[in-house]
Amino acid sequence: MDFQKKDPLKEFAPQLERTSIQGYAWIVFLLAVIGLGVYAFLQQVLKGHEVTGMRDNVVWGVYIVNFIFFMGVSYAGALISGTLHLFRTAWRKPIIRMAEFITIIALLIGPCFILLCIGRLDELHYLVLFGRIQSPITWDVIAISTDIFGCLIFLYLSVLRDLAALRDYEALQLPKWRKKLYSILALGYTGTPDQQKRLNRATDIMATMVIAIAIIVYSVLAWIFSVTLQPGWHSTIFGPYFVIAAVYSGSAVLIICMWVFRKVYHLEEYITKKHFVAVGVIMLVLAAFFGYFTFSDYLTKWYGSEKNDELLIQLLFRKFYWSFIISNYVGVLLPLLVIGIARLRTITNITLTAIVVIIALWLNRYLIVVPTLESPYLPIQDARPEWLEYSATWVEWSLMATGVAVFCLLFTIGSKFITIVPVTGLIAEEKKDDSLV
Amino acid sequence: MTHLFNQVRFGQTTVEPMKKMMLFLAVTTALLLSVTALAAPKADSANMPVDPALKLDYLCGTDSVTLTANLGLMRDGWPAGLENAEILFSAAGGGIDKPLGKSKTDQEGNAVLRVALGGLPAEKDGMITYSAHFAGKGKYGAADASVSAKPARIRLFFSIEDSVRILKVTATQRNEKGEEVAIPNETVPIYVPRLFSLLKIGEVSLDESGTGTLEFPSQIVGDTLGNLTILARIEEHDVFGFAQGQNKINWGVHKQYYKAEVPSRELWTPIAPMWMIITLIIMLAGVWAHYFYAVFELVMIKMMSEKDKPKF
Repeated sequence: MDFQKKDPLKEFAPQLERTSIQGYAWIVFLLAVIGLGVYAFLQQVLKGHEVTGMRDNVVWGVYIVNFIFFMGVSYAGALISGTLHLFRTAWRKPIIRMAEFITIIALLIGPCFILLCIGRLDELHYLVLFGRIQSPITWDVIAISTDIFGCLIFLYLSVLRDLAALRDYEALQLPKWRKKLYSILALGYTGTPDQQKRLNRATDIMATMVIAIAIIVYSVLAWIFSVTLQPGWHSTIFGPYFVIAAVYSGSAVLIICMWVFRKVYHLEEYITKKHFVAVGVIMLVLAAFFGYFTFSDYLTKWYGSEKNDELLIQLLFRKFYWSFIISNYVGVLLPLLVIGIARLRTITNITLTAIVVIIALWLNRYLIVVPTLESPYLPIQDARPEWLEYSATWVEWSLMATGVAVFCLLFTIGSKFITIVPVTGLIAEEKKDDSLV
Repeated sequence: MTHLFNQVRFGQTTVEPMKKMMLFLAVTTALLLSVTALAAPKADSANMPVDPALKLDYLCGTDSVTLTANLGLMRDGWPAGLENAEILFSAAGGGIDKPLGKSKTDQEGNAVLRVALGGLPAEKDGMITYSAHFAGKGKYGAADASVSAKPARIRLFFSIEDSVRILKVTATQRNEKGEEVAIPNETVPIYVPRLFSLLKIGEVSLDESGTGTLEFPSQIVGDTLGNLTILARIEEHDVFGFAQGQNKINWGVHKQYYKAEVPSRELWTPIAPMWMIITLIIMLAGVWAHYFYAVFELVMIKMMSEKDKPKF
């Protein structure tokens, strides 16, 4: 493809200028799902947490699973975008903004699920006023808030060049307020050598920071579980296990985003099979690591024969049999086969594999949370039999669907505000491409 | 869907796929709304009449009677109290039915009324029938409960004989002439209230004169001054039901409050270990310093543009 003959801004301008009927219909559909979530949330506020499946025994459910899942996706976005940037990977340009969008959008949605878990939101400020530094929950609050600031700065640094380009592109048919907004956000960047030097330095530093923080923050999230003595949670490898699972799920989300935007915005020339295979290979390596950590964790528990660990493993292989198989067998082996065998390595197959991986990784988090809480060390007195087992209600499923809808909506809005592929430097980067894949 | 996407160009529309898309969205939205409607509570089941159960407990004190009515129902197969319901109390005896008052139930479904013992209508043998009545409200039907008992007065006296602490208990009832006479040959357990329940410290057997004594144990912990509340009770009696007398005495062991030492820095104490605080400060300072540096670079980029402006 000959990028030299093309003007990327001209090519991407329709993405920012117009929204098709299908685009509006998609937004209306997302708003309908969000509306359902608002209704479900009101039910929960008015009637309390009894409208959820959470009870005295199983105090965490789908909400915390979604929290872990979205936070994982976010950290994966940070790790992938930060690493690709630092290593100056030649093929990164068309997909790096998607990874950055994934980071910040998932990071904004994830903590909302924790808020849904809290019964007394009016006392939320006590966490700040009376928080104990020894508590991993306090670490998590500090870490997530720090991470949000870091990722916002990194995203802003990454889009600055494009904001300046959009500001200067006179043919762009946009309302005045948007042009004014681009002008303000571009900070007067004109690409002078000094400005470039400072921008590159700041971006490199923030790329390093977001990688480090992503690892720390997701490890902190893992420690919330592993510092307890609960069967299935008390594990020394939970920190790295969570980090690997996070990047694994994030790479799958990135592949799906690539597929969707490639189709919707017709980016076939920019996002090619090479990109799918490259991210697919990352997913393959992570699948192997994830399988290794999973096997290691369950093997030691199984051989340890500690009473409650045995009960938990029995529960996983009986009540949660299919979830366990999909999560820890299909979710590990499918990417190894599809991406490992050259003949199967097509865009469609890689995308379908990514969908399976996302389902498997969501189930993995469900299997970490729920079966453990269903097998406590001490039976709770006077609990109704139906409270001993967890089953998510329509309220929880609706709010989960709302989380996904908000993710899609913010992604859609984000892609209407700034080009989904970084236009500045795209040609130069593509020229340097020496086909790593 | 792939076929659909292939035909729909961004910014352009092809009629057939657009219709399909709209149909798909309409069906999905309708499904979502159906889920919401199905999940809404059913009006019929919500307005089904419910018959609550009313239970009346009676406790006779030295000068008063405490009536506790509990209004409950089965909710999701589990007992629950009915809150804010008005309960009317009355006492009957000798053909007279006297209203005693009303009280509203609390969160647990309990309504409590305390009335003076004097002036209550009684049968010739001294029995009084107490009643509680809930008139019903909305879908909740009416309910009644009653209990009959003869008032019994239990009194406690303290004395020290030869350095031995003696608790004396007397129990009396009124005869047909209204004279106070002894309740003989009953066993009266003695309690001391603790934080969560009553601690039984002994039993007194009443003689023919309705009197019994107990050598008071010396190791019961009281408050900082040694004060104890002592209860003597007749429980689940066929005639007297529940009766209770109480008195206070400073015969307890003086409770010692130790001034809490300054807690050491541990994982489980209010103040965190120093290494943890230092680690956190170093990490946060390191991270935020880099943030500030990045923001500083952005500010410099902005300032450079200001500086360069006249050139354009």
